[in-house]
Amino acid sequence: MTLGIKPLLRRLLEIIWGGLFGYAGYLKLLRPEEFAEAVAEYRLLPLALVGVAAAVLPWLEVAAGGFLAVGLKRRSCLLVIGFLTLIFLVVLFITAARGLKIDCGCGLFMGRTVGLGPILEDGLILLGAAGLYYWELVETTDKRQ
Amino acid sequence: MRRLLRQDLAWAGFILLMSAAFGLWQHWNLVRLGWSGGLTAHLETVREQRVQKEFQGVKTLNLAQTYKIFQKGQALFIDARKPEEYAELHISGALNLTRERLDKEGTKALRGIPPGREMVIYCGMSSCQAALRVAEKLQLLGFNRVMVFMGGFQAWDEAGYPADIN
Repeated sequence: MTLGIKPLLRRLLEIIWGGLFGYAGYLKLLRPEEFAEAVAEYRLLPLALVGVAAAVLPWLEVAAGGFLAVGLKRRSCLLVIGFLTLIFLVVLFITAARGLKIDCGCGLFMGRTVGLGPILEDGLILLGAAGLYYWELVETTDKRQ
Repeated sequence: MRRLLRQDLAWAGFILLMSAAFGLWQHWNLVRLGWSGGLTAHLETVREQRVQKEFQGVKTLNLAQTYKIFQKGQALFIDARKPEEYAELHISGALNLTRERLDKEGTKALRGIPPGREMVIYCGMSSCQAALRVAEKLQLLGFNRVMVFMGGFQAWDEAGYPADIN
């Protein structure tokens, strides 16, 4: 049985993308109050919803990232990751435009200030997720024809 | 392809709902506090406990206490933020000193300042720990009257207290 390089490469990228995203969510789960503080500092949500966002977002990251890494419902996970990253990007842009120099609350580098670094990182994640989704979709469509 | 996309969206929705349900169940306390209006107080308490545990021995000040000390005009105010943030605006008369610079230069960074001088360190906001790290290092270097203004420059600026750009 010959294994194609392309499917292997795609799978490797999915494991990396999913693993990083899931790990970022896991770090937030370890310190839920710190993450809630970071969400509150953005001053975009009413306090009543800060608790909801702090409770839900990390689990979303862990689920989508984890399932992608182990290969379950990969395209759907990529859609969730893309959706979340797009929201994060919009929030980062708004916050940067408002001139707020706050901790971005990003899972991998908790002490980072909102600015070009987090925006570029999230942009890369979004592009990666979009690219992987398209690749998966094309592969699945080709197999079915 | 459209059918696949619909399927993908359906499963994405399922992952969203499942994660949301799990998250709400696991962190119900945070959600409940948010709805009842007690979240800010709870987060402040948790932050203070975290700070006390991690930075034992560092005295902390609130906004009112800090302004009182500022008005007396004897304490040295130290801004622990990055130089570019300091340059934008800082507490009047404050010096800029980051932990990185302190680690590199040691006591040279505070040449001419006696160890007994009263110092108030601050950074951006209440969640920032840069000021605590600088205070911790200063104490290790022998400065024994070091305090940290926990509200940060954001609280100072919002109160309309004196600030400089130079």
